[in-house]
Formats: sequence, C-alpha cells, structure tokens
Amino acid sequence: MKTKISIYEIAFKNLLRKKTRTLLTILGIGLSAWVLTSLFGFNQGYESALNKDIDNMGFQVLLTAKGCPYEAATLMLKGGTGLRYMQESVFADILKNKEVEKITPMLMQAVFDPNKGESGGISAYLGVDPATYPAMKPYLNFKQGAWFTDPLAHEAVLGYEAAELEQREVGDKILVPEKNIEYKVVGIVTRSGTQDDGTIFIPIQTLQKDFGQEGKVTAVGIKVWKDANTTELENKLYELPDVQVVSMAQVKTTIMSLVSTAKVMVFSIALIAILIAMLGVINTILMSVFERFQEIGIIKSMGAMPWDVFRMIWTETVILCTLGGMVGIGFSFALAKLTDLLIRRLLPYTPTGSLVIVNGKLALLTLGIVLVIGLLAGIYPAWKAARVRPLESIRSEGE
Amino acid sequence: MSPAIQALEAKNLKKIYIRGAERIVAVDDVSLTIGKGEFVSFIGPSGSGKTTLINLLGCLDNATSGSLTLGTETIFASDKCMSESELTRIRRRVFGYIFQKFYLVPTLTVMENVLLPFAFFKKAEAPADPTPILRFLGLDQRVNHRPSELSGGEMQRVAIARALVNKPEILLADEPTGNLDSKRSGEIGEVLRSLNRREGLTILLVTHNPMLAKVADRTITLIDGKIAK
Repeated sequence: MKTKISIYEIAFKNLLRKKTRTLLTILGIGLSAWVLTSLFGFNQGYESALNKDIDNMGFQVLLTAKGCPYEAATLMLKGGTGLRYMQESVFADILKNKEVEKITPMLMQAVFDPNKGESGGISAYLGVDPATYPAMKPYLNFKQGAWFTDPLAHEAVLGYEAAELEQREVGDKILVPEKNIEYKVVGIVTRSGTQDDGTIFIPIQTLQKDFGQEGKVTAVGIKVWKDANTTELENKLYELPDVQVVSMAQVKTTIMSLVSTAKVMVFSIALIAILIAMLGVINTILMSVFERFQEIGIIKSMGAMPWDVFRMIWTETVILCTLGGMVGIGFSFALAKLTDLLIRRLLPYTPTGSLVIVNGKLALLTLGIVLVIGLLAGIYPAWKAARVRPLESIRSEGE
Repeated sequence: MSPAIQALEAKNLKKIYIRGAERIVAVDDVSLTIGKGEFVSFIGPSGSGKTTLINLLGCLDNATSGSLTLGTETIFASDKCMSESELTRIRRRVFGYIFQKFYLVPTLTVMENVLLPFAFFKKAEAPADPTPILRFLGLDQRVNHRPSELSGGEMQRVAIARALVNKPEILLADEPTGNLDSKRSGEIGEVLRSLNRREGLTILLVTHNPMLAKVADRTITLIDGKIAK
C-alpha cells in the first residue's frame, strides 16, 4: 500500500489534468528543440561536409589563367565563354617549389549543344592527364569500364550524373556538337557526391588537339606535401605572370562567409521559435496556476511553505520542458534527412554529404538549453503560485 | 460547559475590512474560549462573520485587534502579528481544515489525495500508513479510485481523511456539508461527532444547518460579527 507521495509525483500528475494542453505545449517545445538541435547539427555538419568536398578535390591549390572561371558552374553561367589559357611551360615553374608534391594539368572546353534541354545548352569537357589525374582522385571508382587506354585515345569517361544525362553506357559514343568529333565511352564512374559526377573526362592531349589548344591548359591542380606551408606556396605562385591562385582554404572561407548569412537567419528563426515556446510554457503553467488558485491555497493551509509550492510548479515546468526537449531531439534524429533537404533549398550553395549531423552530445546540449529555458519560464508562474495566501482562496469560496 | 484544558482563547477579536470607502466590521469584539477536546459549532446567517471568525481562530488570518492564544502560545495580540510563514508553521502543527468544496486533486487517487499533506510536511506523530483513517471513514475499499468516481459524501470524507492524516490538534470545518444532501450531511455530522468522541479531537464547525450544529457540544450563534447573547 502506498504510504507517501512526492512533490514531483504531484507535479507530474497535475500535468495530466489538461492532457491536450500539456501535449500541445510539449509539442511546441519539441518543435523548438528540433530547430535548435538541427541548427547545432547544421553548424557542425556543414563545415565537415565542405571540408570533405574540398579534400575530395584531390588538390589544395588550383592555378588558373587570370580571369578564367575555375569551376563548371561559373563556366555555365558565362555561357561557356571566358576561358583563359596558360602555357604548359608553367608546370616547370610550379614544380620548382619544394611544397609541391605533384600536379595535374586540366583543360576545360565548352561547346553549345542545340540538343541539350529545350533550347540548347552548354556541354563542357574536362581534359585530364591519365597519368596524374586518377592518382589525385583515388576515391573515383568505376561503375563500368576504366580510365583511358591511351593518352591520345578518342575516349571519354563519364561522371555518374553525366552518364545518366547523356544516357550512355560503356561502348557508346558521344558526339561533340560544333566539332563533329566522337569519343567512345570507356568508363563510367560511380557517384562520388562531388563535381566530378557531372563531368565528361577526355584525355587532355586529345582535347588539346581536337580543340586546337595544343600546349595550353586552363588549370593546374597542385597537391601539396603534408605539413607543407600552403600560404608560402600561394605567395610564390602569385609571382608567376598572368595566373590566379585559387586556394581551397580561401574557397572554404568564401563559402562559409556566404553561408554565415543563412546561418544567422536560421538562428533567428530558432530564437523566435524558442521564445514562442517559452511564452507557451509560461502561458500553460500560469493558466494552470490560475485554475488551481483555490487548490493551491488549500495546499498552503495544509502546511506547504511558499518554497514547496514554488518547487511544485517549477517541477511542472521542468517536466514539460524535459519531455518537449526529448520529443524535439527525437524529431531531429528521425527527421535529419528532411531538415537536410529544407536547408539545401534554403542555401545558395551546399556541399555534398550530410549537412546536419546530430549526435548524442548535441542532443544533451539541446536538452540542457531547453531545461534552462524551462527553469527561467517557470519562475514567474511558480512565484505567482507561491504567493497565493490560503485565506484569499478560502475567501473566494464565499461565506 | 467549561473545558479542563484550554485549546484556544480569543479576547476582543476584531476584524475590519476596508473596501474602497466602506469599512466592514466582519468580527466585532469576540471573546471566547475553546477547550481541548471540545466540539463547538458556529451558526448564524450569511455575512454574520462565521467564516472570518473561524479563519482567525484557525490562524489563516491576522486580526485587526484583540488577541488569540493557542494553548500557551500567543498567536497575535495588540503588539504581535505573525508573518504568513509563521502562521503556516503553526497551521501545519496544530490544524486540519475541511471546506465546503473538497479541493481534491482529480488526477490523484483517494490514497494519494489523503497522502498529499505528507509531500510538504509530516508530523512525527502522524501515522505511517493512513489506512486506519480511511477504514474509519468507510473509504478503505475506494483507495485506488479517483475523485470523479466518488459521490459527494465520499469526496468530503476523503477531504476529512486528508485533514486528519497529520494528526491535527484542532479540526476546522467550514460548511463541510454545504454541497451535500441532508442524508450525506447527517453522515458527515456523525463522522465529526465520532472523531470528537473517539479521538478527543477539538472541532470547530461552521454551518448554516441547525441540525448539523446540534452534533456539537456547544453552539455559538453569530449575528453581525458578534456573539449573540
């Protein structure tokens, strides 16, 4: 037989009086906690995904001719024009530097394809060196076929998405519009989640010849020795004539500063959501205190001190916030993919891989924050309840 | 009846409320002595000051003037007025209260409602298990029921059990049968009578009901805040 009851049990059972109201409040806190956890998860996930993308590029520094677009998206935006070239003689200047482990030359070419899309589009081809490029991209695996059979072969390797778009398989041919040149597809790489997925690779020497760009390259990827001073290398490369140095660290900084605006926006939304939830908690508990005005008075006439009543009401708030926090954390784990999708729609640029990484540490941090908010939100209603004088409640019963 | 040991002594108690420009004398110069183990009922028309008087006697409020002594302890006098916390300490040591409304917590069972005071304060002499009290009040078969599953009479008996669980010296019952029919009122009267007789509990009962008032040893009639001669 039960012989005692604690303030915590009373507080918990008090919340069961208005189940719908309690449930809605918990849900409100849960949604805020979800936003909060996702925001923290995004903070962590975005940077790690960006780092992974940059690491997957295989080189830390990219050298291009001054003014040349250095990635496919910019090239497309410029309608395939604006390419600038460097002479192959630059390789020797680059390799002179002790920080350089190896280099890989690249030649980007673009043509207008009238059959692409509804009103035509730009098809881009990346000439790569079969001897050095695959070594810099060890993560590129083949779904079908392999790399080129000869540095001068009329062969193409398609990225996963490029193969899907062109609807080509190994053995098929692709035709370069304007030039009327055919390349035989010899390999299709598996999805890597990088820019390579949408690329059509051609042996660089073949592409140079076919497009009349012998001895010219648009970019040189430079892999730096581990622990080498990249900044020092960049400074030395800047001294080369008519080149621009694209440091991946700089790219990362630029993207992160772009994203920081979006982060501020998301953080503001989270802050508003938390404030709304906090007001919701204050409202719920305050309503409950007003509804139990006489009952609280009776409890005080039984001998409850103001601190007892304060503790009881405060406990109710803490229970609400703990449950809400747990629901929100559950949401953030269960709906991480949905959050990822939402953020991808919101941001101008998103790296591949998980943008939102939610783990136990973040869950605990969120729970802690929600609890602190709950404790703060509970102060006013608890103080209000603690101040109830038994006589006021009894008098309100009327004589 | 002159009690052997004094439980409460009020001298020239006065309680005045100010409502705007109006000055309401709710209790006017009341002096009385309640003996230990005595059962006293207070009757009178509405607004006669019964509840205000019992609130003063039950340490739920401070008087405007006069004095109240509980045993040998002065609760208030012309030069002494207790704080709410001090009054609470006295209340939980000495009094048990029953009101017209039962104020049971709807989400707690009968047993949990009865145990409620223990969550805040438990007197050393309080029983470890309130089952005998519940049995005495005929509630031993209802311990796991919620208030919504009980009749009005049963709910008031739960409220009585809750008031008794901390072994009070004085039980204050303010219109305990106000929400009950005459049969249930009679039952509650019998319970109070029995508690007084068997346990020697001092009981102060406020009621409109003259029949219920008769279960007490002594009846005090109040009119306009004064004890009627």
